[in-house]
Amino acid sequence: MLSIRDLHAQIGVRKILKGVNLEVKPGEVHAIMGPNGSGKSTLASVLAGRAGYDVTKGTAHYLGDDLLALEPEERARRGVFLAFQYPVEIPGVNNAYLLKAALNAVRKRRGLPELDAFEFLALIKGKMKLMQMDESFLSRGVNEGFSGGEKKRNEILQMAVLEPRLALLDETDSGLDIDALRVVATGVNSLRSPERAIVMVTHYQRLLDYIEPDFVHVLSDGRILRTGDKSLALELEKRGYDWVKQEASAA
Amino acid sequence: MSATALSPATAHYREAFERLRPQLGGTASRRVAAMERFAELGFPGAREEAWKYTSLRRLESRRFVPAAPATTPVDVPAAFVAQRLALVNGSPVGVVPASLGGFALGTLDTAPEDQLLRALGGGGTERFAALNAALSIGPLLLSTTAGQQSDDVLQLTLVTTGTGPTLASPRIAVRMAAGSRARLLIDHVDDGAHEHFTNAVLDIELAAGAHLTLYRLQRQGERAFHIERMEVRVGEHATFVMRDSQLGAALARLDTNVSLDGRAAATEITGVFLADGSRHLDSHIHVGHRAIETTSLQDYRGIAANKGRGVYNGKAIVHEGAQKSNARQVNRNLLLTSGAEIDTKPDLEIYADDVQCSHGTTTGQLDPNALFYLRSRGLSEPEARSALTRAFAGAVLARVDEPALARHVHDELDRRLVRLLEVTA
Ligand SMILES: Nc1ncnc2c1ncn2[C@@H]1O[C@H](COP(=O)(O)OP(=O)(O)O)[C@@H](O)[C@H]1O
Ligand SMILES: [Mg+2]
Repeated sequence: MLSIRDLHAQIGVRKILKGVNLEVKPGEVHAIMGPNGSGKSTLASVLAGRAGYDVTKGTAHYLGDDLLALEPEERARRGVFLAFQYPVEIPGVNNAYLLKAALNAVRKRRGLPELDAFEFLALIKGKMKLMQMDESFLSRGVNEGFSGGEKKRNEILQMAVLEPRLALLDETDSGLDIDALRVVATGVNSLRSPERAIVMVTHYQRLLDYIEPDFVHVLSDGRILRTGDKSLALELEKRGYDWVKQEASAA
Repeated sequence: MSATALSPATAHYREAFERLRPQLGGTASRRVAAMERFAELGFPGAREEAWKYTSLRRLESRRFVPAAPATTPVDVPAAFVAQRLALVNGSPVGVVPASLGGFALGTLDTAPEDQLLRALGGGGTERFAALNAALSIGPLLLSTTAGQQSDDVLQLTLVTTGTGPTLASPRIAVRMAAGSRARLLIDHVDDGAHEHFTNAVLDIELAAGAHLTLYRLQRQGERAFHIERMEVRVGEHATFVMRDSQLGAALARLDTNVSLDGRAAATEITGVFLADGSRHLDSHIHVGHRAIETTSLQDYRGIAANKGRGVYNGKAIVHEGAQKSNARQVNRNLLLTSGAEIDTKPDLEIYADDVQCSHGTTTGQLDPNALFYLRSRGLSEPEARSALTRAFAGAVLARVDEPALARHVHDELDRRLVRLLEVTA
């Protein structure tokens, strides 16, 4: 589904990704862990199409197509979803408007008819219940005045509504208390399916107790240094990242 | 002043006035005096401070024909509210009802005194106010009686029309009696068939405790010239509210002068303008605090795109003795494309010591993070840009509490934004 080969990316002259390789197949859940500043968000941003990055080398293919050649909205319509580490507050743009416009854009691309206001509301209500969000959120500005936890839940709500093929979750767990974490995990798990892949960036083993990954990768200084199963996450929790770096440089 | 000293444009209007004079009502001597004042002032020169960002060279190069009294009704866009009166080149056509939408209606002929031709002194548009005083036809007087309360809205549709380039001189006086409350909607349109020049004057007076809400929509055609002068005097505990939407014309200049004359007089002036295409929109607002405990709020949002140009000049003067006054000014501008320009000049002069004043102005582009966020959810770039632009204007448009008008302005912004963003994306 997603195939990243030797990906190099930089901002200005600052090199951030220095040869990332990653294969993600449908149905899989991947966790990317790594120290602060190692390039996790950069990887997610480059995959989602944020401007400002120069890809100097390497490729990323999604469902066989050159992902990096597509506009961000086209990636979204084809089923790529990024849950932002820092969701943006957009006062004056209504949450319901965004959800509906986004859903209809995706449906149009899939050859499905647009939903009218009534059908949309019916669909949204169920998803909001799942995310334990009050319906009053719909009439507010996008993320406007939301608490940290509410923003993260809103990201997962959007994901649940859009039903992406490939979900990239950037630190969706950070800043959540244990109850909110459970809600978010429930939302993510509700989307697990054989056709869908999930790549989640996280610092903590904690999230992986709720969303069990098939693979755990360690990204450090712009490279994936080690890949393992979920036991690797436990080991990282105990021992930190330094031993991974040392073993990698010794090799 | 000798005729030879006049510029060709000024001479043109004076001659046209002489020809038209027999058809104009009112007091002839006052019209002549007004014409002389216009001739004396002439068109603004390039150096004049009040016209620093707005050149009238194009306007001056044209020879518009001043409109004669209209006799036949013309097509006008559907009304936003139930009660509407259309003025054709400033004059009512047919019988004017005695009252409509919460106002008693009169014309100069029936007005108790010839108060409408009062010279409006000062400011960059004084010359045009004088030209209007000379040429206006059947000026309309709207009045309320003491204590009269109305929730209705009276819509005046001011249409400029003609078989060739026409100068229309609508002139409207509003007299709000003590303790009365009313709402007025003024909609400026034209036939779009020619380059027309609308030169409007509004003269508004609020007696003690009166409350007037004025909704203004300027949606004249792509080729129109529009100059308007609004003079508002606000008495003790009276409130003047304006909701302005400046969307049309090739070149428009609006001078709004509000004088807070009585204790605790208040005004709130909010508006939005959209200078797209090669439109040039200039708003000058001048609020004078002349009594204690007076309050003013100005909040204008400007959007410019393509070769559009916006000018915003907001001024508040707190005069000596106007203690415990509160003056706030906000002006936020959005440049959607690189060729566009907005010149803004907030200005505060304070001659009293116990006052609260603030002003803030920003000019910028759409937030790239917000833009990316929306696009990452599948919205096209034009959709995302137009959603953010609407949000920008929405903060001010939310105050337009007349639903049909608010819907129109929203739809019009949508239509124009999507079109222009699709072209430039
Ligand atoms: N806009 C930017 N300009 C310059 N450097 C940046 C920018 N964004 C991120 N970086 C740098 O790139 C590196 C990787 O950042 P990021 O991908 O956010 O790391 P992570 O998500 O793993 O914490 C960091 O050193 C960060 O300072
Ligand atoms: Mg990060």
